[in-house]
Amino acid sequence: MWHFWRRLRTLNQRRETLLQAAPEGAMRRYLATPFPDPRCDFRQLAYTALDFETTGLDPARDELLSFGIVDMRDMSIALGTAQHEIITPERAIPAQSAIIHGILDDRAAEGIPFDKALELLLERLAGKVLIAHYARIELGFLGTACKRLFGSEFLIPTVDTLLLGHRWIERRKLYLQQTDLRLHSLRTRFALPRYRAHNALTDALSTAELFLALTAQRRSENYVPLKEFLKRV
Amino acid sequence: MDIELIEIKDFLARHPPFDHLPEEALDPLLGEILIRYLRRGSSIPANDGEADHLYLVRTGAVALFDDKGKLQEKLGEGDYFIPRCEETGDIGLTGRTEEDSLVYMAPCDVLGRLRKAFKEFDAFFSAGTNERLRKALTGINDGVSLASNNLLSIEVGDLIDQRLVSVESGTSVLQAAQRMTECSVSSLLVTRDGDLLGILTDKDLRRRFICQGLSYETPVDAIMTADPIRVRTDTLGFEALLRMTRMGVHHLPVMEGDQLSGVISTTDLIRFQSAHGPYLVREILRAETSAELQNTARRLPQFQVQLVNGGATAEHIGQAVSSITDALTRRLIQLAEAALGPAPVPYAWVAGGSQARREQTSYSDQDNALILSDALRPEQASYFEHLARLVCDGLNACGFYYCPGDAMATNPKWRKPVAEWRRYFHAWIEKPEPMALMLSSIFFDLRVIHGERGLFEGLQQEVLAKSRKNEIFLAFMAANALTHRPPLGFFRTFVLISDGAHDKTFDIKHRGIVPIIDLARVYALASGSPAVNTLERLRDAAEHRVLSDEGAANMIDALAFIATLRMRHQTSQLRQGAPVDNFLPPDDLSPLERNHLKEAFKVIATLQESLSIRYRVGNLG
Repeated sequence: MWHFWRRLRTLNQRRETLLQAAPEGAMRRYLATPFPDPRCDFRQLAYTALDFETTGLDPARDELLSFGIVDMRDMSIALGTAQHEIITPERAIPAQSAIIHGILDDRAAEGIPFDKALELLLERLAGKVLIAHYARIELGFLGTACKRLFGSEFLIPTVDTLLLGHRWIERRKLYLQQTDLRLHSLRTRFALPRYRAHNALTDALSTAELFLALTAQRRSENYVPLKEFLKRV
Repeated sequence: MDIELIEIKDFLARHPPFDHLPEEALDPLLGEILIRYLRRGSSIPANDGEADHLYLVRTGAVALFDDKGKLQEKLGEGDYFIPRCEETGDIGLTGRTEEDSLVYMAPCDVLGRLRKAFKEFDAFFSAGTNERLRKALTGINDGVSLASNNLLSIEVGDLIDQRLVSVESGTSVLQAAQRMTECSVSSLLVTRDGDLLGILTDKDLRRRFICQGLSYETPVDAIMTADPIRVRTDTLGFEALLRMTRMGVHHLPVMEGDQLSGVISTTDLIRFQSAHGPYLVREILRAETSAELQNTARRLPQFQVQLVNGGATAEHIGQAVSSITDALTRRLIQLAEAALGPAPVPYAWVAGGSQARREQTSYSDQDNALILSDALRPEQASYFEHLARLVCDGLNACGFYYCPGDAMATNPKWRKPVAEWRRYFHAWIEKPEPMALMLSSIFFDLRVIHGERGLFEGLQQEVLAKSRKNEIFLAFMAANALTHRPPLGFFRTFVLISDGAHDKTFDIKHRGIVPIIDLARVYALASGSPAVNTLERLRDAAEHRVLSDEGAANMIDALAFIATLRMRHQTSQLRQGAPVDNFLPPDDLSPLERNHLKEAFKVIATLQESLSIRYRVGNLG
């Protein structure tokens, strides 16, 4: 029942409600900035592509190791806005994930503290549409962190390139294998260049490019509201 | 900005124009880059506001059009273009994506800032076509191994003759010539109190003194080249060679600080690179049989490889190889005369085509003819038939294969007395038919190898006097010079032809070198220049105002660049013992070489265009 009501309210209305209860500081500043209107044409909006590297998939148990972030405006990715930060973990990094991400304990120790990272992210995401591939990870970790540090729910209008990719494949009635939806598999369908995988910034950039490719076809239409691409949150 | 974007940075660093930036400039540049994904059929720029950007293709394909909508070139991965930009002087190109494309955009004001901050980057844009090509020419020899016998690593100071031969200003020409003869040098410096005033060469004596009929007491100052271009003792040999090519001179004074140190000549440079060249010639002159000549000729490819390893330009290799073919031809003629007895009447053995132009490479085919004295009686004709047979067979055995078009002295048609040759040329000039034009690359490029020079020279003067005035003949020659067109450029692994079609391989001879040779021939005929060598023809054309100085300089650089690429290609085939051809796979070219080739093609296309306008080639039926 609660979910039903929540759906009827717009994201911006929910943001207003959260704002009233939010503590002073980063969280409040974030919530004070209106979200882009989902009825706006998607070409006119500002986006931020984000990727997290984590020690695992469970936001309750696992830790954020690094993030990569890059902005997009007027359907152009601005490389000058690219940022990559390593985050000092609160626990030691499990051996198997260290191998994947190439982030060793001593390098991670040189990173920024977790609360600083979250503040940075809230500042950069304010007023933007989030682009992520399999956004559940990014949204999950951001939600858990905001709850823990600010006692607040985290909200953002989100485009998930995995879902858009899934739709793109289904529409073409192509045979879908599980692996087809991975970021790098989808990119090859659009002849996008091969970047080294598993670096948060390269992946954020890859995701932004994939979004451009997935929506390129719609750019010839007169009006396409952002909501056509939004993930339900 | 984060250095994790290393892949994009690497990509920029590998491709023009950003490959001309130092490492430290790339990080700030990266921060200015915008990335776009463009659907097939999108226009670039999307709107006027975006014209002043550089567009670098990361993936996909973009076709470029001029303001009339004519296809100019096609860009693939790693190619860039600038629609309109004050900072780089680009105007008027538009692009259309032919595939979905990912492009990197750099704003023009950033390019402007980078030009101010980095000299080499600035030079990439400000350099005219010719300067870029000249730099490229130095560049393509970078890959050559730096052996000790390499002109790229040796300094001029180490090459010059220790003796400095000079005379004081005011010395008479007679005394100067005596001094040159005593010291057996081909050039002499003119000084006043140790300061260099000018240089006097054998050629100056010939052209400015003997031909002018001046008195022996004339002071050298009157006929010397005043204030000549100099090099320094630490100038690299290769650079000196390039400078000589550019200036069309064979001697350069060498300075050590303010002090005059000596003179460097083309001979010094060539002798250095081709330690084996004179040795080959000496062996040729000593050979007593055709078999011995064949043995020596077999080493010609190896000789060519050594020249290329030594960093020689195509021009000097052409000169060196042609001089060996000349020696072979002369020795074969001497051996034939020894066997047949002395010739009954005077004659001239003339070479045509690449040997005549001194642009030969090993394994060229042979083109030659005999010009006989008009005193020839019918019963004496068989002597020359035998002579031609012996020489042409000998050349064939030495690797200079029979001419497929039978343009050889063995063909009775090309073994005629002067009067007959005069009739031939008259007919070719008065009634230029396609058949005659096919022969033009052979018979309008002739050089006497052996015998009576006068038989040919008189004929040549008449031909030049006639051809120069005959607009219809020149128009036909111009049309002929337009049959081989350069491509637009390269697209991925293809050569892009002007109508938008593709070729898989690049025929560097017919699409690069032949068009230049053909243009140069028209210029020579139009200006009445007796030169046969393409570079000399181009220089003469500029001197006679048939061609602008800039046009000539660009053409010379274009030819030097293309011919050197070809030489490098053929030399690598020779090295592998593979058959030699003119087909360059576009894949073998670096992005920079592709860019420079494109520039060279543009130079050729522009001059072909103006030739076609000058002679209204389109009007010929």
